Amino acid sequence: MATTKPAPAESETAIRVRALESILVEKGLIDPKAIDALVDTFEHKVGPRNGAKVVAKAWVDPAYKQRLLTDATAAIKELGYSGMQGEDMLVVENTDTVHNVIVCTLCSCYPWPTLGLPPVWYKSAPYRARAVNDPRGVLKEFGTILPDDVEVRVWDTTAELRYLVLPQRPAGTEKLDEDALAALVTRDSMIGVTVL
Amino acid sequence: MLLTPDLVPAVVASGHSARVDAKIAPRFAPGAKVRVRNLHPTGHTRLPGYLCGKTGTVAIAHGVFVFPDTNAHGLGEKPQHCYSIHFTAQEVWGPTASAKDTLRVDLFDDYLDPA
Repeated sequence: MATTKPAPAESETAIRVRALESILVEKGLIDPKAIDALVDTFEHKVGPRNGAKVVAKAWVDPAYKQRLLTDATAAIKELGYSGMQGEDMLVVENTDTVHNVIVCTLCSCYPWPTLGLPPVWYKSAPYRARAVNDPRGVLKEFGTILPDDVEVRVWDTTAELRYLVLPQRPAGTEKLDEDALAALVTRDSMIGVTVL
Repeated sequence: MLLTPDLVPAVVASGHSARVDAKIAPRFAPGAKVRVRNLHPTGHTRLPGYLCGKTGTVAIAHGVFVFPDTNAHGLGEKPQHCYSIHFTAQEVWGPTASAKDTLRVDLFDDYLDPA
């Protein structure tokens, strides 16, 4: 006896996105091929390797690091990683006394040119709620346990600025060059949920 | 304007900053103590509700930006200063929170009163 499998239900988000897309096309605001080009850009061309290069340069070049911490937008633009959802940037530095974590409790604000599109967990309600009221609990779930005397500083980035964490350079990497250092830098360390 | 594939690289590379080049006096300077207004708008807002009534300190003055609460509804840009406000975890979450940990939240002038 043949059985018919029900089609997998489309998520509410997928339905809303499809509805929005058809309205934008109908109103003559967007060519569907432009949507394909946008998706292709953020799936294949832009991602956290960009942010990793920013971090590695800051580790090896003190003058660049200084510019990055005082005018992140301009310093990141020097490497060519500015633009949509990274128009106004701030870089926050992890030190022996302060560990920074980024969240957007209201939605999913995230620095696209340096980190690409946000991971699903970053957009999830549990991360957004718990990162602010139990940051050490969230960090522990990422395998990150910080000493009690380190200040965990959570940045809730609900306005127009986008944030990137400058992780601490791991010990024992003194002999590595900039490219080798960039290879060590992970997306999660630049959100601040892990250390290197 | 129709967004076509050939425009995508330029749109992605430039984006659209919400920063406004306007001479508007900031209401607060870094170091100032502020209290978050108890606002519960039904429309678009960038004010996280968990901060209503909480007291913090201006850590960074970011400059002047379009105010999303009005702009999102076609009610004008209402440009104003945005600040990173520093809160202790205990101020926001009470005495069981870490005495060491802190929050920094970007808040607009319209959300704040002097404390």
